[in-house]
Amino acid sequence: MTRYVMVADLNRCVGCQTCTAACKHTNATPPGVQWRKVLDVEMGEYPNVDRLFMPVGCQHCSDPPCMEVCPSTATGQRKDGIVTIDYDICIGCSYCAVACPYQARYKVEEARFAYGETPTATEAIRFDEGRIGVAQKCTFCSDRVDAGLAKGLKPGIDPEASPACANACIANALTFGDLEDPESNVSKLLTENTWFRMHEELGTDPGFFYLWNEK
Amino acid sequence: MSSTQKVSTYCYQCVNGPDMLTVEVKDGVATTVTPNFDARGLHPADGKVCVKPYGLVQKIYNPNRLLKPLKRTNPKKGRDQDPGWVEIEWEEALDTIAGRLNAIRAESLVDEQGYPRVAFTTGGAATPYFYMGTFASFLAAWGPVDQSLGAGGTVKCYHTEHVYGELWHRAFTVCPDTPRCEYIVSFGNNIDASGGVTSVRRHADARARGIKRVQIEPHLSITGASASEWIPIRPKTDPAFLYAMLHVLLHERPLTDLDVHFLKVRTGSPYLIGPNGFFVRDPASKKPLIWDARKQRAVPFDTADADPALLGSFNVDGLEQGADGKTWEHQGITVTTAFEHTRTLVKPHTPEWATAICDVPVATIRRIANEFVDHARIGETIEFEGRTLPFRPVAVMLGKGVNNGWGAFECVWARTVLMTLVGGLEVPGGLLGSTVHITGMDFDRMASVVPHPDGFLDYPFNPTDKEQWAAQPQVRHGHTTLIPIIGGGLTSQLMGSTVLTWMRLQGRAADSWGKPKPPDLWFVYRCNPNISFSETDKMGETMATFPYTVAFSYTQDETNHFADLVLPEAIDLESTQLIRLGGTHYFEQFWDSQGWVLRQPVVKPQGDARDFTWISTELAKRTGLLEAYNTMINMGAAGLPLKTDKYDFSLDVTRAHSVEETWDAVCRAASADVTDGQADDGLAYFKEKGFRVKPFPKINWYLYPRMEDLNLRFELPYQERILRIGQELSARLHEQGVTWWDKQLHEYEALPNWKDLNKLWSDAYEKAYGIRAADYPFWLLTARSMQYAWGGNVSLQMIREVAANVAGHDGIMINSKVAESMGIEQGDRIEVTSPVGVTSGRALLRQGVRPDTIVMVGQFGHWKTPYAKDLDMPSLNNLVPMNMDLVDGTGSAVDAVLVKIKKLGSKK
Repeated sequence: MTRYVMVADLNRCVGCQTCTAACKHTNATPPGVQWRKVLDVEMGEYPNVDRLFMPVGCQHCSDPPCMEVCPSTATGQRKDGIVTIDYDICIGCSYCAVACPYQARYKVEEARFAYGETPTATEAIRFDEGRIGVAQKCTFCSDRVDAGLAKGLKPGIDPEASPACANACIANALTFGDLEDPESNVSKLLTENTWFRMHEELGTDPGFFYLWNEK
Repeated sequence: MSSTQKVSTYCYQCVNGPDMLTVEVKDGVATTVTPNFDARGLHPADGKVCVKPYGLVQKIYNPNRLLKPLKRTNPKKGRDQDPGWVEIEWEEALDTIAGRLNAIRAESLVDEQGYPRVAFTTGGAATPYFYMGTFASFLAAWGPVDQSLGAGGTVKCYHTEHVYGELWHRAFTVCPDTPRCEYIVSFGNNIDASGGVTSVRRHADARARGIKRVQIEPHLSITGASASEWIPIRPKTDPAFLYAMLHVLLHERPLTDLDVHFLKVRTGSPYLIGPNGFFVRDPASKKPLIWDARKQRAVPFDTADADPALLGSFNVDGLEQGADGKTWEHQGITVTTAFEHTRTLVKPHTPEWATAICDVPVATIRRIANEFVDHARIGETIEFEGRTLPFRPVAVMLGKGVNNGWGAFECVWARTVLMTLVGGLEVPGGLLGSTVHITGMDFDRMASVVPHPDGFLDYPFNPTDKEQWAAQPQVRHGHTTLIPIIGGGLTSQLMGSTVLTWMRLQGRAADSWGKPKPPDLWFVYRCNPNISFSETDKMGETMATFPYTVAFSYTQDETNHFADLVLPEAIDLESTQLIRLGGTHYFEQFWDSQGWVLRQPVVKPQGDARDFTWISTELAKRTGLLEAYNTMINMGAAGLPLKTDKYDFSLDVTRAHSVEETWDAVCRAASADVTDGQADDGLAYFKEKGFRVKPFPKINWYLYPRMEDLNLRFELPYQERILRIGQELSARLHEQGVTWWDKQLHEYEALPNWKDLNKLWSDAYEKAYGIRAADYPFWLLTARSMQYAWGGNVSLQMIREVAANVAGHDGIMINSKVAESMGIEQGDRIEVTSPVGVTSGRALLRQGVRPDTIVMVGQFGHWKTPYAKDLDMPSLNNLVPMNMDLVDGTGSAVDAVLVKIKKLGSKK
């Protein structure tokens, strides 16, 4: 069995948004849509303040609330754990966006471009009508994973088989890999470090782990 | 049939490059940027690039881009004037420039005041040179060019570190030996936002192995976020903290806790100081004397087997050499060491003294000083490339806001002295210099090591003696006349006091020199001084008086609004240039390899945008300078010489060469360079492979081995040369009746005395602006935006979108409790007023900022640049005064300002 997950090392992340930008490039998301982004979080009261940067996006839960509420079966789950949306089936009801405790889903009602109504040359050739009026979110770059696997490459190790955000991360804060493989990069990180998951109490079993050492 | 290809290129949008990247191009349209994974294991961050180059694709296709040359039709210039732009062809544009240049040449290259008639301004700490092709060759062929009209340099840079760092340890910029360092005390050094990909990666790796970083700064920065500890220090009090650290080391710890050997043999600590403040010298050899504890007598510093005393008073005979050849012969005087003088200097500066100044608990200051020593592992060594070197895994780092203007000399001096006390300067684990500009070529720091007779590193100070002093300024800020430590080299103009240039052009400084005329022709490239410098409203008024400005521009902006000609260049992903890669360079750019990397057109230039090499060649042709221009390229102005004893790819100087021909020759020379003359592959090779490197010996990351080989000492703690030069400079200026630089002359101290900077600022404001300083209770500071800094990308939607995720990109950061006490809520509009300017923005309530501090990130305040002008982002720049009382002895000022705030309206 395989379960692809992401491990974000909060002790490494500097909030630079390179992953955010790389995701936007690779997935051609329109302005305002960020399948991957990094939150700037402040905790405590002056002068005892902590600031940290937290990469967020679809958590690829093993028990995804978005899938439960989807009336059209557009939201699905692959055998490798990646939560998917079939844009052809999605009716754009947004139940999933409401149900997702991670605010990971976006819906764009009409074509949106960087500089008004006219797309730039890049936006023109990358525009996907199929994403209008439907829910969209991070796919863990499943197309890259699949293309890489087809070439015999290892997701999380070979860039061609890995999500763009992990490839781009300049701090090596994002690591993608197979949780079910005890020898994998992600399994080792989770064995050797303390970690948490967001909203663990909701029982969604998210596939997004945060390494965090208390100061 | 659809086609997709990947093209290799580089990003050098900040000084922490070049970083390699690849761009995917689909059917002739650039689509995505990705790291260059071919550089894994070679590039210190494995071929990754930061967020900025991801903006380059949108930069190509931005509809607000200028794609045709524009000429002004409204002769009246002013912010309220419509320039009346009219599109013209390149032919007309080039002929117009050439016509003006030829008229200047026919008359004289310098005006009646002796200043160059042509000026050139660029930004980004000279990174634009790596985008402007062969334009540097054209400027070199032209002759005198005034580069003193800065775009923010000397105010927005690490100025004092640049000059003193280079004097002391060939360190135009410094960094910890992060891969080995274990403890960093950082005074606002925002490395995670300003250090580029390599720094971010190295610091993340360091955290993973448990490095401790103490971040001392008024606002919890990006870098502070990942620090082990945040100490919110009162702005502009860092020297007090540093002096208190020195006090702990020099008065509370026994000498044996310090690196005594390093102090004795690698610094000037044992040098004896005479009653007039100069070294006591051996009358015969003129060498500085030390006290040999073994023989119990004074001996020249380089006496073999001497045991130099650090502590004590001694009875000696000797000679002092003062300013202008003055000497004093002494018999039987009692003197002590430079080390003892330093102890005396910091004796009153206890942690108890510093606590109220810095608003930091006594125990915290003392603890950090002690932790610094305790982590230094004094006495330990490391085997490094076959050599045994000291291992001192500690560093003290300084941020930009403490690194320029008054107080910066104290900070840089105290920091570097701290490093010598633990023997951590230029050794594995410690504090390293990374590149040079004043003393040599930036890519070869080691070659700049030249011994001085006093046992230190030699340094090319501008002369201050009667015969050689440059009494007549050669450019508008007169750096060779006023600032000896700036030197007179290729880049020295950029480091003179650019504040002085603008103030002189405004008729409000250096009265006795008269008001200079503006340049007859001003080239502006990749910068926007009317946004990025201080008192920007006034700056615009000054630009409006310039007779002819040629701006190479991406979009319309606040500077080219005052231009006469606006020319579209082929930008990063559209043009060709080969530049150096690796070795050691700015900040943490330490590589195991060095070589060359190509920037190549990923797509064809949009519209009529042209490659800068083409522009330069056309200008050379039309000004009769083709032969001189080609000669400059052959000599190495495009990166490296095209002819050496190992190869010859030189260009025929008599004819114009295409962009491809020119860079093919440079590429061939580069291939020969990295293969010791074996290869001669040209442009085609680099287009396919992207880069070519050879190994760089890691031992060259450290200056210590070379210092040891040449038996040289770091010129610390005592600044005898600075004292002498200051006295000579004072005499020269006063002989000319120049008294307006007197305040700056006070900085020429052998040991810097502590100054109350908060009082200095208050006094300067009250004197200049007739205000009560108490009415301006906040320090307004700025902080680096990694997403924007130096990128020229303020009009890019995607950069705005992702930067907005980082706090401070949509408002003014203010302490929550203070805001509450003033009735200010999140998102309310507040007005910020300094003695010279006013701005407003949305309040962003934060816990991570001191109650007496507010912060405006980055440099915004645009009123013309498309897209950016609608961001509603305030800038501190227009609020920062240009004021001669705030310019220090090295010519720098700082972009921090005292302000008051009031609520303008609520969020709704």
